[in-house]
Amino acid sequence: MSNVDRTQEEVAARVKALESLMIEKGLLTTEMVDRFVEIYENEVGPQLGAKVVARAWTDPDFKARLLEDATAACRELEIGGMQGEDMVVLEVTDEVHHAVVCTLCSCYPWPVLGTPPNWYKEPQYRSRMVREPRKVLAEEFSFPIPDETEIRVWDSSSEIRYWVLPQRPRGTEDWTEEQLTELVTRDSMIGVGPTKAAS
Amino acid sequence: MTSGFGRPRTTPHQREEVERLFGELGSHPEELVFSEPWEVRAFALAVAGHTSGQYPWKDFQQALVSSIKTWENSVEDLAHPAWSYFEHWVSALQEVLEHGGFVDARAVQARTEGVLSTPANRNHHEPHYDPVAIDPAVTHRTGATS
Repeated sequence: MSNVDRTQEEVAARVKALESLMIEKGLLTTEMVDRFVEIYENEVGPQLGAKVVARAWTDPDFKARLLEDATAACRELEIGGMQGEDMVVLEVTDEVHHAVVCTLCSCYPWPVLGTPPNWYKEPQYRSRMVREPRKVLAEEFSFPIPDETEIRVWDSSSEIRYWVLPQRPRGTEDWTEEQLTELVTRDSMIGVGPTKAAS
Repeated sequence: MTSGFGRPRTTPHQREEVERLFGELGSHPEELVFSEPWEVRAFALAVAGHTSGQYPWKDFQQALVSSIKTWENSVEDLAHPAWSYFEHWVSALQEVLEHGGFVDARAVQARTEGVLSTPANRNHHEPHYDPVAIDPAVTHRTGATS
């Protein structure tokens, strides 16, 4: 079997095929696979999103372009891919916080954020985040949003994939773009967690 | 609801165990770098298949080595841009599963084509332009302009 010139899409499909066959044959369960994926899920991809966020924090023109057309702005940094075709970036302010969910499945802007974390695909997150976001963020993610801030929850679909531009952490005025990248977390770009604090 | 969504469910010990297995392939843990989601999935599948007792790790290692050898012999230049380490994981996994009599190549091929012909999220194609939920501010901002 030659695997030269196989496209990424074909390989990805083969991996899915093998997984579904292995599960059908009772060789393993999705949970068993997820356990190993979880070890690494935070290491694929979100650093690309972090780069974009840090650029937006340091370059107001880029930020304007990012909020106008995230897909095009990401392409400027050579970031893009299969599921990133129509991305919309939502800016967090003191007045409005944003969080992302996929109510039906697990649509996710993986070119910038990597693989979706396991909980993102869970029915509890998908339904509760829509019903009671303030409570879910405070109780499940230990990420309370100030009472005076409105929370908007956005439904990602395969047509539009949302992600979040968090606020630049305080005390980072003289930080370089590279240093800032370190402060951006995956969860802050889904809207369910803070950025790291400047130390 | 029993546990928080955002809390890690894996332990450093599990990571050590995985890195030990990876090390047995003759690689350093630092080389364990993924650039595509499917690569992590393929990696996890191979490890999970082994830890659930379906095949000895040595068999997987041999299949991996042999897949890489075949590839090396098929290209003139080893720096060929089509090189993908984790593609060989996929090939090796399929090989050990075929060898163990769990799957046959035709079934895998048919299933792969099925996946390719199904849109990723076929039920979720409409764009949603407005927030799906709004949780309004509970208290008014003091000293706000409006």
